[in-house]
This record gives sequence, structure tokens and C-alpha cells, in this order.
Amino acid sequence: MFARTPPDTTAGVAARRQPRALLGDRFTAAASAAAVAATTFALLAPAVLVAVLSFSNDSFFDFPPHAWGLRQYRTLLEDPRWGSALWLSARIALPVAVLSALVVVPTLFTIHRSRLPWRGVLQVGGLTGIIIPISAYAVAMYGVFAQIGLLGTYWGLVLANLTLAVPVMLLVTSAAMSRIPVELELAAMVAGASRVQAWLAITLRLLAPAILAGGVLAFVTSLDEAVFINFLGGPGQETLPKAILDSVRYGLDPVITAIATLLMVATSLAMGLAAQLARRGAR
Amino acid sequence: MGPAGRSVTANLPASPRREADGRWSAILPNRWALLLVAPLLAVLFGFVVYPLVKLTIDSLTTGNGIGNYEAVFQSAAGRRALITTVLASMLVSALAVTLGGLLAWHIRICRHRAVRAVLWLAVLAPFWMGTVVKNYAIVILLSAEGPLDKLLELLGLAPVSLLYTSTAVAIGMVYTMVPYAAFSLYGVFLGIDESLLDAARGLGASRARAITSVMLPLAMPGIVASGALVFAISLGFYVTPVLLGGAQAPFMASFIQDYIFTFFDYPIASAASVILLAVALLTLGLALALVGRGRLQRAVA
Repeated sequence: MFARTPPDTTAGVAARRQPRALLGDRFTAAASAAAVAATTFALLAPAVLVAVLSFSNDSFFDFPPHAWGLRQYRTLLEDPRWGSALWLSARIALPVAVLSALVVVPTLFTIHRSRLPWRGVLQVGGLTGIIIPISAYAVAMYGVFAQIGLLGTYWGLVLANLTLAVPVMLLVTSAAMSRIPVELELAAMVAGASRVQAWLAITLRLLAPAILAGGVLAFVTSLDEAVFINFLGGPGQETLPKAILDSVRYGLDPVITAIATLLMVATSLAMGLAAQLARRGAR
Repeated sequence: MGPAGRSVTANLPASPRREADGRWSAILPNRWALLLVAPLLAVLFGFVVYPLVKLTIDSLTTGNGIGNYEAVFQSAAGRRALITTVLASMLVSALAVTLGGLLAWHIRICRHRAVRAVLWLAVLAPFWMGTVVKNYAIVILLSAEGPLDKLLELLGLAPVSLLYTSTAVAIGMVYTMVPYAAFSLYGVFLGIDESLLDAARGLGASRARAITSVMLPLAMPGIVASGALVFAISLGFYVTPVLLGGAQAPFMASFIQDYIFTFFDYPIASAASVILLAVALLTLGLALALVGRGRLQRAVA
């Protein structure tokens, strides 16, 4: 099924190859297709499992469920705890998305439109937050937040999540910026526009879909953040990931399957939107 | 950038600069470039560089100073956590690159739209689930009398109680990192011209030979970059050891968390964190030296 047929020009040569090589080829192809099929199944199974189990009508977690229905979704709507956790997560994620754009977008002009030495280092340095071991990074943030009194504060969580959202924004927008030809700005400036006018009317307008895509992904990154909140959050600061984590730590509450399913649907829509926007920016 | 501007000489606004050779240029002067990068530098220095430097200084000056490190290495729990974490991360990195690479390669060469859509779905679904939900799903899957045990029962096999073991943690880490590696390696494979493989096969190489002698050498820098990133990220996994490892599985994240919040021993926790960061930064630095900045940057998914 995954086998790739060679183009016609080589078919004659392929036919003359030794049968042993063909047999070996067939074996390699079958083995790698089997590994891919197994990996695909293993990657999809947990998502499907959670979505299916969210329609269980049992009040206690059991597998397989005894009855089917919308009980989990009703419980979810009736319990104010989940709504307020989602609200706190959203209230943190929104400023994180906006701030990450404000921090990253000006940088793009330095990286792509200047000859400042070390500007290339910024591209990798800007990604540090998401490539170092997060639990160690969280301890480092804990030390600083304890020092300046940000532990357990709302703005502390915004700043902490910002360090993870900035790399995401940088990845998305910098790729888009590298595809915008500098000649467009040059033409506008030679024709009489100031540099700022050229940036606002041409570069930023072309970059807008990518900035929006980066904003959506920054929002999702912040919404998903589950490590910093455990180290830097205080009592009463229960974001959605923290609420789910604490609940799962003490047992399998079936209502989580409903939250998980809704989150999956929402995240897939948001990421799909971001991909669509980034693609539109590429044209 | 042709000589377009050269004929227009008079009455132009000052903003586009003229280069020494007389060409017009949209290059930003350095002092403006520095001003525009200031917000990012503030975030990076304030919340990445400074915390890491302070952590290192704290680990050496608070508590017992260098003794903090001795305490981590000499305690059985610390040693066990460090060894388990590093070995698990190495295993996860190897598996993620192998399985993720295979998946990405098949997405690259697959001609069937439907099959490719399913493969993409498999890569994206774990991203859609988010950190906590992913691990929750695997808790369900591995729980006693759960789906995996029921499946084994159907096949006439003995149930395996994997939940709350290091194996469960490794499974959870692989589940997160396979799509990550697949995503980053797909970009690497896209950059390899498929006709090179056809050429190799036209010259008589078998499929396997074409892949090992043509495709793999070309992809190797990307594979190294991806593997190093997966390893560095895996060292810091927190949610997975907490949910799938429980109290028993020895991982650095749990060790660090216990020292801060149960024993209120920040010095030891900071020493343990510095050790973890040092292993990660050494690996990333080695990868940087081997494959260069551009490749490492492109491998971040």
C-alpha cells in the first residue's frame, strides 16, 4: 500500500534486477509499512478512546462503560469548577498571545532587515524556552519569582507563559517574514513612502495572517501550560490543565473525558485555523 | 536589487539609504535594529538568561554550597532518578527519531490522499490533545483492568500492570515525542530531492540500499538535530512522570518537585536542576557544533 512505483524510465532496469534484491526490497517495504501502521494506530488510539469514553453514562470510571449517553457533558456544565478553571486559563492566554506578538514582530525587522551582528543567534536564542528541560527551567523561574514577589500572582503566570509563547510566535512569523521580498519595501520607499509607511502598508499587511496564526498558537501554548503552574502558581490559581492534573492524580473521574474531548476539538480547530492562516500568508 | 533607484536622484525621502556603491537599500541602521530587538532581549535576559544564571549561583551558594551537588549524587534516590531520566530520555530519543522518521518518510512518499490524511492525523492528534489530556488518556489505557489489559485478555495473554512504572513513563514520553520528531523530520525529508532515489534505483540499487546510501546520509544532520532536541526536552518531562510514574518511578522532575514542595529544600532542588540543564545544554551544544545553527533551528517543531 505504501510501495512507491518507480517511474517508467527506470522500469526496465528495475525489471532486470536480481530477484534476491527484489525479495529483500519487498521485505523491507513490508516491515517499514507494518511499523508505520502500528505507530499510526498507537498514536490515534488514545485520542479515539477518550472521545468514545466521553459518551459513557456511568458515574464511576469503568471500562468498557455499562451505558451510553451525555451524562459526562451534563456534569461538566453543572460543575462551576471547570468553567472557572477555563476562564482563568483564557484570561492568562489572551495577554500572553498579544504580548508575544508585541515582543516578536519588531524583532523580525532586526533579524530580516538589518545587518546587526549576532542577529542570527537571536533566531536560536529566542527558542531557548521551549528546548531546555522544563522542570529545571521551572525551578529557575521559581527562584526569580520568589525573589521579586511574583509567586502565585496572575501577572507572574502571564510572564512565565510568555517565555514559552515567544518561541512559538517567533517560529511562525519568522518563517513568513523570510518569504516577504525586501524589494517591495524598497520600491515603496523609492516611490516616496517613509520606512514606517512601507512597513505598515506592505510588510505588516503581508505578515498579518502569520501574526494571527502565531497568536492562535501562542494562545494554545499558554492554555496547555501545565508545568509552570505547578511551580509558580499559588493556592486558588487553578488553570484548566492544573485542575485536570489534580483530578487525575487522585483517580479517574469520568467527567474528564468530556473536558478532554471538547479541548481536543477546540484545539484541532484552532490549530487548523492557524495552519490555514500561515498557508495564506505564504502565497 | 537592481539599479532601479539609480536614475531617480533628487528629492527623495531620507529613509532608504544609499550604499557606498550608490545602490538604494532598505537595510535598517543598526541603532534602530537594536531598539526593535529590545523587547525580545528584555524577555530573554530577564526570564531565560537571568533565571538560569541565578539558579546556578543559588545552587553553589545556598544550603551547603558544592555539598548540594554531593547530596544529589550521593543519595540513592538522586542517583537513581538521574540515571533513569537520562536513560529513558536516550531511549525515547532513539524511538522517537526512528518511528517519527518512518512516519514522516511515509507521509513524504505516500501517493494516496486518504492514507496520507490518516498519517497526518496520527501526527497531529497528540498535539491536539494537549499535555495533560495526552497523559490522562494513557493512564486510562494502561490502568489495571483497562483497555490494554482487556485486549491482552482477549488474546489469551496475562495482563501487564504497567501503570506507575518507569515503562509507563517511557511510553508516555514516546507518545509525546514521536509526533514531534515526525513533524521536524518531515521538513528535513521535504528538502531531499526524490529523484535522487530514483537515480540510485535506476543504477541498480535496491530500495533499502537507495535509502541507506542516499537518503539517510542526506537526512543525517536533520536527524541528529531532531534527536538532540527530543533528548533535551525529554529530560524535563514533568506531567508524564507525575501521572504515569506515580510515587514509585524515579524521575528527576519528581525528585526536584519533592525537594522544593515536600522537603522545602530549594538548594538541593536547584543543584538537581542545574545537573539536568547541564546535560541538556551539553547535548544541544554538541548538536549545534555538529550540524550548525540553521539545522537545529529548523528542527524545532
